[in-house]
Parts: sequence; structure tokens; C-alpha cells
Amino acid sequence: MDLQAKNMIVTLSNTEIVKDISIKVQDKQFVGLIGPNGCGKSTLLKSIYKVIKPRQGSIYLGDLDVLKSDPKSVSRIMGVVGQFNDLSFDFTVQEMVLMGRTPHKKFMEGDSEEDYKIVRAALEQVSMSGYESRSYLTLSGGEKQRVILARALAQQPSFLVMDEPTNHLDIKYQLQILSIVKQMNVGTLAALHDLELAAEYCDYLYVMKKGKVISHGAPGEVLTRQLIEEVYDVECEVYTNPITGELSIAYLPVTIPCGEKRKIK
Amino acid sequence: MKTQSSITARDRKKESIQHKAFIPLVIALIVFIIFSVGCSVSIGQVPISLNDTFQILLYKISGMRFGSIEGLSRASFADIIWHIRLPRALMSMLVGIGLSLCGAVMQASVQNPLADPYILGISSGGALGATFAILLGFGFSGVLGQMGVAAWAFAGSFGAAVLVMLIAHMGGKITSAKLVLTGMVINALCSAFSNFIVYFANNAEGIKTVTFWTMGSIASATWEKLPLTAISIGIAFVFFLTQFRVLNTMLLGSEAAVTLGVSLNRYLRIYMMVSALVTGIIVSNCGTIGFVGLIIPHIVRGVVGTDHKRLIPASALFGAVFLIWADVFSRTLIHQSELPIGIITSMIGAPMFMYMLMKKGYGFGGK
Repeated sequence: MDLQAKNMIVTLSNTEIVKDISIKVQDKQFVGLIGPNGCGKSTLLKSIYKVIKPRQGSIYLGDLDVLKSDPKSVSRIMGVVGQFNDLSFDFTVQEMVLMGRTPHKKFMEGDSEEDYKIVRAALEQVSMSGYESRSYLTLSGGEKQRVILARALAQQPSFLVMDEPTNHLDIKYQLQILSIVKQMNVGTLAALHDLELAAEYCDYLYVMKKGKVISHGAPGEVLTRQLIEEVYDVECEVYTNPITGELSIAYLPVTIPCGEKRKIK
Repeated sequence: MKTQSSITARDRKKESIQHKAFIPLVIALIVFIIFSVGCSVSIGQVPISLNDTFQILLYKISGMRFGSIEGLSRASFADIIWHIRLPRALMSMLVGIGLSLCGAVMQASVQNPLADPYILGISSGGALGATFAILLGFGFSGVLGQMGVAAWAFAGSFGAAVLVMLIAHMGGKITSAKLVLTGMVINALCSAFSNFIVYFANNAEGIKTVTFWTMGSIASATWEKLPLTAISIGIAFVFFLTQFRVLNTMLLGSEAAVTLGVSLNRYLRIYMMVSALVTGIIVSNCGTIGFVGLIIPHIVRGVVGTDHKRLIPASALFGAVFLIWADVFSRTLIHQSELPIGIITSMIGAPMFMYMLMKKGYGFGGK
């Protein structure tokens, strides 16, 4: 399913966070959203998954008008892996993943054998089988994130939105999570902070700075030395890694002016 | 590796309690509630044997067709059981159901383990209303005169709840932090006004009544008061039984809930209105009975888990058992005297909760 967000403007407490952004994700395309902290990535994603109401703009997921539809019909086709998944109360892993079935449930409808099958398959997919009766709060960060992904998988979405899904994860799980998503072969829009991973997994990148998209295109075209320097304010060298054959970035140390250094002391 | 396997073994045992043994647990609780009501009406200042109690109840409930009250040692037993103790036992049962139910719902609504049914300022609001009626005598005249304290308490508690919701709603979305804080503020404000009235009231008897009232008592239960309470708590119970999915997603926080198709704000408002109504009715009948709505859901969560499909019915039933026995103790613990039930619920409830926290490593629904 394809996603089209057009002319999005989002303001939070009178500050314009997202300034007239248009984004397109084609069917089965993995699109990355990159940019420094505070550039508006999360806010843009939140307005796409209906947590924040944009001041202006339109979002279409296939034929569905996301902004005008109720959350339930959107959640039947759009799965979300958000950033904040802390709980005050505990659930078992199975209960947690089973909640991914919520959008497909009618009033008072119970959980069927089919639902449990979907949950088992989802846990299998994120290699968390056997954890069904473990309590969610006792899991490690990586395990929690995989359970949340399994919950989104159990939603059986035709489109996936992820906000820094690899945050705080060991490299193994970063690769694992992105590979799982890639395998799902559904349209995906993900905010990512690791540029090398973004280059490796994404088909297309949007680069944001201060609430605006300043560049977009295939990773190889977008991720240049000049762009990274402009957006992230870091000097670097972009090269092809001789071992993996993938795009790699070598960041050069930030030079702090002497005067400021003394002031800090 | 060893710890891993011990964890899974324990989890498996826990899971079996949570799933397979749930229906038997519910049946056992219902049977125990009936048994408890029976015990409750036979125990008291005047001990009446279980056999006599059974005869009287059978006689009355069957519409005087079965059983017999001829062989009773004293004729007044029938009146004591039917007019005094049975309504009281039933009222305790209802109050137990209502408070535990609202406690579980409130904890989910504000995603806070410290929440209880009084979190919206309902207890202090009710106390203010009651203090007002008792000490300043602003009760209604005529038939409503007898309902005076209860009516004022209900007005106070419901008014406080509505005020809290309105204030929390100002400036955009209701957040749980804003609700909890507003509830605390309104609680403090209402307490201050009640204390102000108490401080300047020159009425020792009235002050004693107010004190007794704020500690809670089921003593005023009568058959006339039961239908309204039973209907409102019954409707709320059935309503919340149907809401298990929304309650579960509530615990994930409003953001995750939206991504699962549940927009919390709408439900939050409905749930709080229903809870406020039920709690307001309970407070107006029985004063503020502390601790029940806080600990019963926690205790039950430790047994059946956090899933509201099981938590809601189990909390309600266990709350009923708890309050029936708390009422029995409040009537019998001190000879020839009656303790406010709020004292008993805290005295029994606090150690139970402490035991859970220490012994079981309670993790708010997990292991």
C-alpha cells in the first residue's frame, strides 16, 4: 500500500515543527527519514499515525484518507512501532502481542485460535518464541523492542511506520529488526538515526532539517559529504566499504574552538 | 541457564492459574460470596446458628413456601436477619464490588498503580457534602430530609469529580498526570473546607458523626437503599466487563492506544463518569471506605494477571468477599460496639498488601 502525505504543517504549542513537507512511499518501498535530533521526524510520523493533528495537509494511505478516518480503520492497515513503550503495569509477552489484534476485533469479540496462531507466528518472526508467558517488564530493551515489533506484525498491516526502531539496541538486533521489516515486504516509513543502516536498508531517503525536507532520493545519491556536513554539522568522508560493498561514512572529530573549551573548564 | 529454566517453570505455573484455572476461580469466588453472606448474617452481637439462619433465609426468599420459622429459639431472629443483617451483608457485597471495580478501572484510566476510586476528589467532595449537611443542617425537608446527608454527600462527591474532569480538560487533552494532580488539589481543597466547618462547629455530637462518616460504615444499609445501589453497580459492572480490550490498551498509554485503533480520550471520559457515579453512590451510602479500591485490584492482578478480561470480574468478586468479611469484623471485633469499616479494611488490607509486595515480588501484574 502506498502512502502520500502532502503539504504537511504541524505546530506544537505555537511553534511550527513541520514546515510544509510532502512525502511519498510507494507500495512495498522501504523509505527512511533521516535528520538530526529535533528536526521534526517524530512529529511528522506522529501526525501520520494520528497522535498529533496537523494544522494543514493531507495523508492518504492507498485510498484511505487517514486524517478523516477513525483510528480503528487506520490501525487495521497501518502498524506502528513507536518510541515510547514503557508501562506502569505488566503484561505477559503473549498478552502484549495479542493486543495487536485489537483493531480487528468487534465489540465483545473474544480471541480466537486464529489470533493465537498469528501471535505465535509474529513471535516466531522476531525470534521470541518461548517467551509467551514471560512478563514484558522483565525483558531487556532489545527484547521489548522485538515484542513491540511482533505486536505491529500481529496487526497484519499493509503499511508500517517506525520511529527509530533500532534505538538503544545492540547491533545484532538493529540488523535483525530492519531485516525482519524488509522481509515483510510492505510499504514502510521509518525514522532512522544510523545513516549507514539507513543506506543499507532503505530504498529511498528523505533528509529533514529544521522541519523541512532538504533532499530526497536513493541513499547513494543523497548521502554525500556535503549533505551530511550541511545537515548534521559534522565533517565526514563517504566511501564504499571494501568488505561489504555498502556505503560507509567515516565521521571526523568535531573541533571545538579553543575559547569555548576554556569557558567550559 | 538455571535461572532461565526456573523462571519459565514459574511462569508456566502462573500462566496455568491465569488461564485454565480462571473459570473454576470465578465459580469458587461466587460460591464463597454466597457462603460469606450466610456467615455474615448469622454472626453478630446476637449469635444465630447457621441452621436457623438457613431456615429463615429459605423461608423468606422462597416467599414463605419452604422452610419454617416456627422452631426458632426467638421470634426476633427472623427480623434481625431479614431487616438488619441481610441488607447490610448485601450492601457490603455491592460496595466491595463497586469499589474494586472502579479501582481497577481508575488504575487503567490514569495508568497509575497508585490510583483508586477516590482519585477524582470523590472522597473529600463527599465528606464536604456530608459535613455540610450534618453540621450546618442544610438537609432537605420532608422525605428528602432523611436522605439529606446521603444526597449532600452524593452532590459533593459527584461535583468534585466533575470539577476535576473539567479542570483537567482545560487547555487541551486530558493527561493522566494532570488528572491525578487536579484530583489531589480538589481533594485538598474539599478537606480544607470540611475541616474549616468542623473547626468552627460547636457541636460535639455532630463532629463525632462526621468522623464516623469519613471512616465509613455499612450500618445504615436498608432494603430501601439497596435497589439504586444494586442497579447502578450492576450496570457499571456489566459495562466494564465489555470494555476489557479498551482497558488493556489504555495501559499502553494514549499514544500506543491510538496506533491500535483506540482513541483514549473518549473512553476516558465515559469511564470516569461511570466510576464517579458509582463511587458517589457508594460514598453517599457508606461514607469513605479506604484502601479497598486500591489494593483489591493489585492483589487480584498478582493472581490472574493484568488482562482486564480476567481482572475485572475477579476484582469485583474478590472485593465483595473482602468487604463482607470486613463488615463482619467491624461488627464483632469489639464487643457491644461497632468499628468504622474503613479502619478494618486498612487494618486487614495493609498487611495483606505488604505481604504481597515482599513475598511475591509483586510487579504490578507481572511476576
